[in-house]
Amino acid sequence: MIKPEKMGKISIIGPRDYLPLVSEVLYEINAVHIGSPAEEEYFKVGIPLEKASETSRSLVLLRSYLAHLKIDSEKVIPTRKFRVDEVEREIQSKMDEFQREIGEKIEKQRKLTETVKSLDEELRLIEPLKALGIPPRLLKDYKNIRCFVGLFTADPSEKIRDVTSDFEAIMKGYKKELVGAVFVRREFEEEVFGILQDYGFREISVPDIEDYDSRVREIENEKASIEDERKRIESEIEEVKTREMEFMLAMEEYLSIELDKSELPLKALVSKYAFFIVGFVPEKRYGEVKSEIESKTQGKVAVERIEDIEEEPPTLLNNPPIIRNFEGVSTMFAVPKQWEVDPTAIMAIAFPIFFGMMLGDIGYGLLITILALALKKAFKTEGMQQLLSVALYSGIISIIFGIIYGECFGPFVRGVEVNHQHVVEHLPHFLWPVLNAIGIHEVHPIFDRIEAVNVVLLLVLTLLLGASKITFGFAIGFYNVLKHHGLKDAILEKGTWIIGMIMLTSVILGFIYNQANGVKPPIPIPIAEGWQAGVNEFYIVALPLALIGFIMFIAAEVPKMGVVGLVLGVEILTWLGQIMSYARLLAIGLSSVYIAFVMNFIGIGLLGSKGGIFLVIGAIVLIFGHTVNLILGILDPGLQSLRLHYVEFFPKFLEGGGKLFEPFGRKRRFIEG
Amino acid sequence: MVNEVAGGFNEEFVKGMAAIGAGLAVGIAGVGAGLGESGIGAAAVGAVAEDRGFIGLGLLFTVIPETIVIFGLVISFILMFAF
Repeated sequence: MIKPEKMGKISIIGPRDYLPLVSEVLYEINAVHIGSPAEEEYFKVGIPLEKASETSRSLVLLRSYLAHLKIDSEKVIPTRKFRVDEVEREIQSKMDEFQREIGEKIEKQRKLTETVKSLDEELRLIEPLKALGIPPRLLKDYKNIRCFVGLFTADPSEKIRDVTSDFEAIMKGYKKELVGAVFVRREFEEEVFGILQDYGFREISVPDIEDYDSRVREIENEKASIEDERKRIESEIEEVKTREMEFMLAMEEYLSIELDKSELPLKALVSKYAFFIVGFVPEKRYGEVKSEIESKTQGKVAVERIEDIEEEPPTLLNNPPIIRNFEGVSTMFAVPKQWEVDPTAIMAIAFPIFFGMMLGDIGYGLLITILALALKKAFKTEGMQQLLSVALYSGIISIIFGIIYGECFGPFVRGVEVNHQHVVEHLPHFLWPVLNAIGIHEVHPIFDRIEAVNVVLLLVLTLLLGASKITFGFAIGFYNVLKHHGLKDAILEKGTWIIGMIMLTSVILGFIYNQANGVKPPIPIPIAEGWQAGVNEFYIVALPLALIGFIMFIAAEVPKMGVVGLVLGVEILTWLGQIMSYARLLAIGLSSVYIAFVMNFIGIGLLGSKGGIFLVIGAIVLIFGHTVNLILGILDPGLQSLRLHYVEFFPKFLEGGGKLFEPFGRKRRFIEG
Repeated sequence: MVNEVAGGFNEEFVKGMAAIGAGLAVGIAGVGAGLGESGIGAAAVGAVAEDRGFIGLGLLFTVIPETIVIFGLVISFILMFAF
């Protein structure tokens, strides 16, 4: 759980003829991550097996159908699994059938769409001519008369009159422009055309039709019948979709598997007679892989363990189911290398707690929980399921913190009979008799986070939480470096900062101690008089730690960077900033409490005041306000909690840059095996 | 130190100034964080337009400068409760 699965590197060597068989066996075992070996003089990267091209052609075709039918295999929940021989037997006839029932129909639909487009184009031409109102046969050129038909930006009559008075121009307004026909004698044709161009003339070619209206009706009818045709084809395709979807997906899976298998040579090195594969296998499955391959090939293919530290082994995270849900968010930052500590488990504990600490509201928590459960039913993809599980846990923890803080849609449970100091005497009013009836006369939250004293207390708590979490991060870093580079590096690299963090924590505690006891000055810096008064036990602890830390820092940095390296000591201030950054656990929560408080104040105030329209407005304020606050309450605590891990915690130990273990093989969803 | 600074002034005045200081600490820090976030936010929106999968990471990057406000807030708490 804490560390990724241990990996071993293996080589698989055998005669080339056995490669297809080995491919089958490896795929069945689904436990070997195939490495990428470098080519050598005799060993070259292989070429895919023969069936690959045929398979990939069918696969491309099938996927294009799936894409057209908008089938997403991720979203389909299989109701049955098909047998492999069943798929194998029917695949050819089904491909032909799909070609007939889907491929050809798609083609037909495309043609129909094109026809509609050209009809629309024609309509677009007829429309202005119809507005002009001259029958089409009159708009054709005559023996001695040229007829210009088209769109104009302005009436050109005046200008034409300069050339000839013997012309006819009919103009009608059409969509902010003019549509018109200009008739002139042939001898003036070119001159007039020049003028027309100045008036933005765009010619419309007059279609060979008798009458606009009847043609428009014809086109509309034709379009309607095409639309019917298209709908019919659509429903036919839809019918094929519902009937064949699962089998199509089974075929897709089958073909993908076959393609994967036939492309194994691309990851292998082959010579004329032999092949060679390197891969990584989880240590505990090594025996199984070896015996399986060697027995299936009658000992012709050898599996051996190889010692090689050059290539980093892939990372197979190894977490129990609940924690596994957090792998998505933890690996989004970085995939740990195989020898590093996997932070998923820590994140699985800390993330929901941080989230809950910030949101801490029974009502919002309940809504998030219900929402997550509902969405889990709707979105079945693995990524969504993981994410929603994270939301679910966060929601539940929010409810728990809500009970601690006494909040339900804002500060809620407050002294019923006595001491309802803050708020919301409005809200619990109607609940008072109920509570009194069940014997509760006085209700206090376990920890009231909006009371001034408690705000300070929570601030101190969050800072200490931050300090311990960051120190913990360095401690994990210490372990990582210890395992990989040895004790000396671990002490110099991480030990320095662990001491630095303890020192910082003591200083913070010393400061808090002085503040709490009203001792001035809070920090004993020997620049002002009377600074000795500020010295307390925490500062006394911090001083030697600071010295030791500084000496260790010199030992670590000066050999590497020279004296300039000392400047890096200011990094301790970064850690101080990062500790303070944990104060957001308080701050984000308070802001959300106060938004809710304001909404309740206004909303319930309106509800309780005049009645009538104010009831409606009050209800709207409440619903709208709490919806907005809920959205903020999911987004902000979620992001801030993530950030507290990514920025303040992970970099203390996680080098990252590992690649996830992807075994050769796949989980079958639609076919058996 | 505080006594010396507060020396010539009455307590009410010091309290008032501390409250103003606390307000400024949060307010100006907020402006700073906003300036920081504006650039990141614009870039994040651009990245999301290219690839919707980036939205989670983009949001996360956008809130990174928010720490500055938290600093301001901590300072304002210290001011409010120390004086």
